[in-house]
Amino acid sequence: MASSIPSGAPGSREKKYDRQLRLWGANGQNKLETAHIALFNASATGCEILKNLILPCIGQFTVIDDKLVEEADLGVNFFLDEDSLGKPRAERAAALLGELNPDVMGNYIIDNFSNLLSTKPELFEPLTTPFTHFVLVSPFPTPLLLLLPPEIPTFLVYSLGFTTSLRVSAPIHTIVETHPDSLTDLRLLNPWSELSSMATERTTNLEIQQKVDGDGGMSDHEHGHVPYLILLLKYLEDWKQSHGGNYPATYKEKGEFKVLIQDNMRTNVPGGSEENYEEAIAAVLKNVREAEVSSETKEVLNDTKCANLTLETDNFWIIARAVKDFLENPEQGNGLLPLSGGIPDMKAESNGYVDLQNVYKYKARYDASLVEKNVRTILSSLNRDPSSIPLDEIELFCRHSNFLRRILYRPLPAEFSTLPDEHHKKAVCAALSSWDADTSLIHDYIALRAYQSFVTETDGRAPGDTDETLEVDTAEMTRLAELYLKEVGWSTGLGERGKNMIREVVRTGGGELHNIASLAGGIVAQEVIKIITQQYVPVNNTIVFDGISSRTGTYEL
Amino acid sequence: MLQSGAGGLGCEILKNLALSGFKDIHVIDMDTIDVSNLNRQFLFRQADVGKPKATVAAEFVMKRVKGVKITPYYGAIQDKGPDYYMQFQLVICGLDSVEARRWINATLVEMVDPQNPESLKPLIDGGTEGFKGQSRVILPTLGSCYECSLDMLTPRTAVPMCTLASIPRQPAHCIEWASILEWPRVMGDKKLDNDDPEHIQWLYEKALERAREFNISGVTYSMTQGVVKNIIPAIASTNAIIAASCCNEALKIVTSSNPYLNNYMMYIGDEGVYTHTFAHEQKDGCPVCGNMATDFHAKADWTLDEFIERLKEKPDVQIKKPTLTTERRKLYYAGPPQLNELTKPNLDKRLKDLLDSGEEVAITDPGLPFSLRLNVIFS
Repeated sequence: MASSIPSGAPGSREKKYDRQLRLWGANGQNKLETAHIALFNASATGCEILKNLILPCIGQFTVIDDKLVEEADLGVNFFLDEDSLGKPRAERAAALLGELNPDVMGNYIIDNFSNLLSTKPELFEPLTTPFTHFVLVSPFPTPLLLLLPPEIPTFLVYSLGFTTSLRVSAPIHTIVETHPDSLTDLRLLNPWSELSSMATERTTNLEIQQKVDGDGGMSDHEHGHVPYLILLLKYLEDWKQSHGGNYPATYKEKGEFKVLIQDNMRTNVPGGSEENYEEAIAAVLKNVREAEVSSETKEVLNDTKCANLTLETDNFWIIARAVKDFLENPEQGNGLLPLSGGIPDMKAESNGYVDLQNVYKYKARYDASLVEKNVRTILSSLNRDPSSIPLDEIELFCRHSNFLRRILYRPLPAEFSTLPDEHHKKAVCAALSSWDADTSLIHDYIALRAYQSFVTETDGRAPGDTDETLEVDTAEMTRLAELYLKEVGWSTGLGERGKNMIREVVRTGGGELHNIASLAGGIVAQEVIKIITQQYVPVNNTIVFDGISSRTGTYEL
Repeated sequence: MLQSGAGGLGCEILKNLALSGFKDIHVIDMDTIDVSNLNRQFLFRQADVGKPKATVAAEFVMKRVKGVKITPYYGAIQDKGPDYYMQFQLVICGLDSVEARRWINATLVEMVDPQNPESLKPLIDGGTEGFKGQSRVILPTLGSCYECSLDMLTPRTAVPMCTLASIPRQPAHCIEWASILEWPRVMGDKKLDNDDPEHIQWLYEKALERAREFNISGVTYSMTQGVVKNIIPAIASTNAIIAASCCNEALKIVTSSNPYLNNYMMYIGDEGVYTHTFAHEQKDGCPVCGNMATDFHAKADWTLDEFIERLKEKPDVQIKKPTLTTERRKLYYAGPPQLNELTKPNLDKRLKDLLDSGEEVAITDPGLPFSLRLNVIFS
């Protein structure tokens, strides 16, 4: 469901970006266009990532790299050409990437990460940096990772031979537009008065067969066009009458309820059955249930951010608090979230359908207006302009209120310092002892950790970069992997896949394969887009792809 | 190496193949460049709009990557026959239609000669939608083919004509009414061109009018275009993932460096990242690679016309204007006119008067790139 698309004929930008606006709408696109991505390392992987962000139109990018273009670059990086040989990689990559989209502003800095961190610390200060997101492509030294500001979303990328991985780190990430398959919430067991009375009105003569026009009976045509939601509401009421005021709850009862509906279907009609009744029966198992607050939304509403609002609190948390107040107020939601308001298509006459749709729509609008009132009150109490959050934003939030997400990304030091925290240790050990441990991609991660230690101690030299050092480098990589395993408390040592992965990483000598670089470019760009647009659900927090078995693994490390 | 499709996946594939060291690549595509391609088809610029995709893509990559020879062909894959396809070692596809995929799949399966190992051309196929996509390796006759998995496609549920004609409920119903019913009524024989902005504008206005009449909200120009052209959202990053996966498999197959994908990978990026890598099974009695007539149960009392209608409902068949024959007679010819005249009366005859139970019926159709064989069994 796209957020908002203009209704008239498209302008040139809408035409150019049509295929993506259908995913993330104008909301997402506006956010994308204000992002400024800093890429450290103009490797093939780095350039492929930027390509996939420049095409959909991020605002700006800056390529940071201190190397000169060599012959080897041309064999793997599409964004360096023969004319680039001997020139700075940052400059040439920025130029060739910039050609992809004239709407995007490209910049470059001929320097490296460690140097910049000491000479231009302002680039890394949340308040002074021009960058909104950091993309770091390995190699980078571990101590510097620990200095990165946690306020700026950061993407750490490895691409070695057939293996690639991404670690996402960001401040608390909140999502309204998660794009679930459906926002539908029918409230069949929690109908409000307008819905109940509509169901009663529309079914008073349901059981009476019309003989002649105007005899008060229902014709077959009308009977076959009563929307299934109305049918379900009516038969649920009938069921309640005969079952001591209770709704069908168990699987068995729902089965019996389906029979009840079936028995009321008119069968002496053309075709021998009625489509609306069949739709009603098919909807029983999925829709006859209490409206519940999802565990993800509970997480949001119970977050301390909801309780401790300040002048600076994001709109997200203010509206979340207003929704929480709505939910808990017996005069408002009384235990239920604001209604999303959408209903699925169903067999019905146009009028009958639109009227029913309006009952849901008006209720949703009414719920949102109560949430809006709460929002205005909260804003006033914080001494903020009570109208500073537009109604559109509140309504969008209410529609998605049962599908909210917040992700607490673990900070990089908890994973990368010499003493990783308990969570990290547990997560790695759990993956190493799971039922699929033999083939698990956690081994790939461990090999990459050894690589990370290796490049840190050699100041950026990749293991296996020359034939002469192949053997000693393998031994050193093995030692580093074993050391890491000891740090996380895994005493059994490297398994078979772990050893293979070490050999595989050393064999690549730090080299990229174009296909894997390109694949990494796609994976990373998808996640960057999800973080920037605050739509869809980004990975939390690590994804590893193995190009030999064509599989991915995701871990929270 | 043959690459079919030079669109979203195609641009990526061409770049990847060139940088993977493939020296001789042929690329086929029948489309020209549209402005809505530019958000992902990175070998094209604003100034290229209107030019053939295959040619522009080939020129760009040859200029950027030294030592690669790329031969473009601006036309349909169906223009070429087995002789043409026989010259390649492998075929890699980034196509946007089910028809084209079925055609190339059936052609490559048909080409396999058990006496000649060279005749088996691995087919690598990719497809994307939004943040999701899939790549797969097809070894014609040896494993699951494209046709084997046709029932995995989500069927596009057609809205009943009476809903469009008299009881619309959704904005899409109003748009389909405008394009399917109102356009031919008002415009007569004038053909609707989905790429003509004036035509879309006309449909949009008609749909909007109808929506107002029925109090339906939500008709927009963008939605009109989406419904009429069946637009699938597409972004650069997903294309990059799937195209790279396809080329990675191509490289593994050609160099025998590592085991290749057996045989299907789905990538789902909407909610976190989830991949499903599995072996899709060859389908018993697949009409393309199964090489056997499949059983089809029918009532002896059905008319031939009814029989054809039932066939059209089968999701794994997908026929539109079929021609039916048996060993001993012509049952029905959709064309040419003389044969159609001659065989039309059969449509009203009952199956039992035309066939014996268990008799084999061969079905050909413009939508079918092969001849479907059915044993019609009376039940």
